Amino acid sequence: MHIPDGLMDPAIAALGWAQFVAVMAVALYLSRSRIKDKDLPRIAVLAAGIFVAQMLNFPIGGGTTGHLIGGALFAILAGPVVAIIGMTVILLIQALMFGDGGLTAFGLNAVNMAVIAPLMGWGVHTMLRPLLSRGEAPSGKAFTAGEAISIGAGAWASVFVAAAACAAQLAVSHAISDGAFGIAATISIPAMLGYHAVIGVGEAIITVGVAAYVLRVAPEMFKVAQGRTERTGALRTVFSSRIVQATAAIMVAFALALPLYFIYSSEGADGLEQTMEDAGVGEGEVLLSSPFSYGETYFAALFAGILGFIAVALLGLAIMKMIEVVRTAD
Amino acid sequence: MIVAHVRGHHTRPEGLDEHARASWMGGLDARAKIAGVVAFVVVTALLTRTDLIVASLLLSVSFAAMSQVPYRHLGSMYLGALPFILIAAVSVFLFAGVARGFDMWARTSSCVLALLVLASGTETFELFSGLRRLKAPKLVCTLLMLTYKYILILADELDRMRTARRARGFKGGRGILDRRGLKVISYTAGMVFVRSSDRADRGYEGLRARGFRSDMAPSRATRLVARDFAFIAWFACVSAVLLVLQLEVVL
Repeated sequence: MHIPDGLMDPAIAALGWAQFVAVMAVALYLSRSRIKDKDLPRIAVLAAGIFVAQMLNFPIGGGTTGHLIGGALFAILAGPVVAIIGMTVILLIQALMFGDGGLTAFGLNAVNMAVIAPLMGWGVHTMLRPLLSRGEAPSGKAFTAGEAISIGAGAWASVFVAAAACAAQLAVSHAISDGAFGIAATISIPAMLGYHAVIGVGEAIITVGVAAYVLRVAPEMFKVAQGRTERTGALRTVFSSRIVQATAAIMVAFALALPLYFIYSSEGADGLEQTMEDAGVGEGEVLLSSPFSYGETYFAALFAGILGFIAVALLGLAIMKMIEVVRTAD
Repeated sequence: MIVAHVRGHHTRPEGLDEHARASWMGGLDARAKIAGVVAFVVVTALLTRTDLIVASLLLSVSFAAMSQVPYRHLGSMYLGALPFILIAAVSVFLFAGVARGFDMWARTSSCVLALLVLASGTETFELFSGLRRLKAPKLVCTLLMLTYKYILILADELDRMRTARRARGFKGGRGILDRRGLKVISYTAGMVFVRSSDRADRGYEGLRARGFRSDMAPSRATRLVARDFAFIAWFACVSAVLLVLQLEVVL
């Protein structure tokens, strides 16, 4: 997934740099309270370990191999902020020493593999763990089967969403440069998504395997900032909630990965509307008209989308709480 | 000597900085080299006219030829980066024609070659301290140096474990559904982490003892001299000419 120089349209490469610099500034700011001097060698070892682990090719079948990206693994072992900085360091070494990934495209590579991949991996894992994993791990195992599934799901999602972002960057580069840069959407999107859906499975299995080994043999090895002072206050309680942090991580990953797809959004009819039109069936009288609409402008639609997200998330939380209440009552 | 594969190509053996010392480029200030090559790469990545792309590739090749970095070394490094170049060039070639495919190959190759000459013609830690002096963030530069140091150690460790694995009869997994194969691969990776953590602790104590305080600032501050400025000026001129021709700016 390393994009070389000269493949992307300069505007997309510049957009990638802008996104990367913004995220990196936040990550460096947050790291000031989290990363202490004595943590540096261990973070470096973890980064070097991920770099070396990327050398291990795993067979996908049919003669092709994939290799670990490691963003999710880094984030699950050391936390998302450390993972963003550490993965950036890995990509810098690959770009500067080995010509893997270019300088102008470094922003895009870093956004895909050092920002989206760790945030997505950590976010999905942190969200799913409380739902899937209950009780203590069986003896001799590092974690329960549910936790293994949450780690695997995080690793798969990290690869898939990063690949989706990369495919969109290729497709949009092709569209706005009239074919001089990038790869056409009809090829890049299905090829990248299809290939990485399979690679993601390998990434998931290896991430679970490595995490199981490391967490069993040395559970506290890569935990950074153990002694960080706990925050107090209502707002801080909200921000220190793992679920809130994980939601934010996933939303940032999507915000970085998906907007480029918007240029492919169409004003045309969807499948059902088209079928109804073909069959000559019109929409009947509405029984109930909604007080809300998606709005006409970009920001109105964005606002409606955010409201919708919050409403669905709250509803989901309420249902989960009810299930928990019923379970404890049993 | 490290002969571990980094996805098909070799990690830099520890003696590699010899190329930097043998090349006249080794005597230049790292900041000058980074600034010159980055300007050239950025402009090349913008090019769309075939004649200009070919001119840029020729400039890269002549830069490589003049750098006194051994051809064999540059060739093997280029082959390592080739898969990423070819994926792009071949897919463009298949769906948009030969000319577009050639443009893509030549443009990406020109950039990669210039970067590889920069990497090979500069001692690794000079390169990192050059970045630091160009105001790259302190934390990132320190981690770059430490990570690079550990990569050399871990690649060696992985190589030893591969040999041991082969000695016990492991021949690589058969496919993504081969549970045993994947288990061995992930435990190998896990073991690389665990084995190296002790080293990290010892390394940290060593660093503290030598006066390390979170910043690997270069201990000697060099100044840019005439030949550094000449290097920057040459790349600035070449880049400016290419850019003016590409954008068809009428002077």
